[in-house]
Amino acid sequence: MVSRALTRTHEHSSGHSSWRHTLRRVQLYMALFLFLFVILSPFFWIVKSALSRPDQLFKIPPVYIPDATLENFKTLAEQVPLYEYVRNSLIISTATALVSVTLAFMAAYAFARIAIPGRNVLLWLFVLTMALPEIATIVPLYRLLAEANMLDTRTGLIVVMSSVLVPFTVWVLVAFIQQVPFEIEEAAIIDGANLFHILTRIMLPLTSPALATMVVINFINAWNNLLYPLAFSATEQSKTLSVAITEIFQARAPWGRPWNLVSTLGVTMVLPAIILVLFSQKAIVRGLTRGAIK
Amino acid sequence: MNLSQTWSARGVRLHISRRAWQYIIFIVLVAPAVLLRFGTAAYPIAQTIRLSFRKFEFYGTVESYAGLENFRYLPDDFGFRGAIEFTVLFVVCSTALQLILGMLIAQLLNAEFKGRALARAVNLIPWAIPTIVAAYAFRWILDDQFGMITHWVSLVTGSRPVIFIDPDGARAAVILVNVWKNAPFMAVVFLAGLQGIPEDLYDAAKVDGANAVQRFFFITLPLIIPLVVTMGTFFVIWQVASLDLIYGLTSGGPGVATQVLALRVFEEGLRYFNYGFASAIGVVLLGLVAVIGLIGILLFRRFEVTY
Repeated sequence: MVSRALTRTHEHSSGHSSWRHTLRRVQLYMALFLFLFVILSPFFWIVKSALSRPDQLFKIPPVYIPDATLENFKTLAEQVPLYEYVRNSLIISTATALVSVTLAFMAAYAFARIAIPGRNVLLWLFVLTMALPEIATIVPLYRLLAEANMLDTRTGLIVVMSSVLVPFTVWVLVAFIQQVPFEIEEAAIIDGANLFHILTRIMLPLTSPALATMVVINFINAWNNLLYPLAFSATEQSKTLSVAITEIFQARAPWGRPWNLVSTLGVTMVLPAIILVLFSQKAIVRGLTRGAIK
Repeated sequence: MNLSQTWSARGVRLHISRRAWQYIIFIVLVAPAVLLRFGTAAYPIAQTIRLSFRKFEFYGTVESYAGLENFRYLPDDFGFRGAIEFTVLFVVCSTALQLILGMLIAQLLNAEFKGRALARAVNLIPWAIPTIVAAYAFRWILDDQFGMITHWVSLVTGSRPVIFIDPDGARAAVILVNVWKNAPFMAVVFLAGLQGIPEDLYDAAKVDGANAVQRFFFITLPLIIPLVVTMGTFFVIWQVASLDLIYGLTSGGPGVATQVLALRVFEEGLRYFNYGFASAIGVVLLGLVAVIGLIGILLFRRFEVTY
């Protein structure tokens, strides 16, 4: 490009601008360092607290590099039904992700492909329900779940959590399905494929990256959900890790709050999120931004 | 779509037109999602509005009609007044800071440097972790005796700040931690927006002698403003009804300094079983969301641009 070539020659013609270039690099790396420092320091703090002995935790000034031990993980597993909580969190998050993406996939296919009058208005209305605050539905939901005998059950939590995630998932998937050329389905229809075939044999493989992305995003969302299990769970039958950490926080140890255990559980809860982010960063970003940018 | 052949091939000879088939298939596909949303969102919202006109006694077991009593009591409720005040402050300050920082982070992550992909992944981490964990991590970091930041501040000023007993300190902490948690998400979306701006616009501006600040205000910002409005509205609506962070960081305290409407609904409804009063607060919250949403839509129409 001519313009770019012009600026290049301009920059390199004077030694002055190469100095400015270096300055800009330094500024960039300083900003980057500050950014990473602010984002990561809380993680340093809870990881450090999770790995240190309680007697090294409550010191003034703080011990920044403690003798590493896994003692806190052992204590945590002894004091709370950790197995049940992890199991519940995993089952609820996985099921929520699968249920919400399945329902959203079906609906999104209809919204994207079946040309009936008013479908755009319907899609808008449906997606707008995303704006309804969950907290404003919590009391009636509590009573509904009680009537259906679904309080303190994993099924009840899966139903309400899936519901929250469906509108955004539909919104994202509609955009992805619209990108798939219609000719492929057309050919299949002419060959006599039925709806189930089209959805599972044609659409599913073609949109599987998008579906996988939404499964990951919805898993993370469900894993992080606090409000519903806090409101609807009572026993280890359905309590999740997010509720468990609030209970540990409220417990009292002889020396004050059991920060060692709060940190240990915190690290445990953060781990899956970080692993998912590091392995599927690009896909997650594509899914998250699909809703806002067309 | 023409699926009538498939059906007749199975011997089910129904004379249904192609058009009718389209409707049937559409309904079959959409019904599960719509019914789920109806049962767990639309219907409960209607119920919340109904319950706001009712009174509950004896831990929610005895119910009677109350008219506007719940709403009339709202202005007298100390917790509610505090909640309105801080909800507005919290949402306005948080969103403003998130927009600014989100834009700055997006600019940073859009620059070219080694390890950019990793930095972008790190940026996603605050979004991906449970809010409640972020709340406790910061509460621990700011602990008035053993906290890390407390220690640093004491090294500089010589005294340890006691943040969660001071109303202003608690408010600032809640807002800043919320910004830490959600500004990176804003940045993710802005970054995608920045990547969609054609590079030659910047090249042309450079030739014309525009500096970096001018390029931002005359190219980037006008092109990205619809995104700013959308994200701003979305964040306001979403944060106006959020409670995880405040539940973990301050539980609304000290006093009612960091009380918010969502937390008030939770306390009244699920701790004291004041279903009627909780629903009245919920209705106020709904009204707030509706007004903000409308403003957002109007703003969006004004700023819509094409490029």
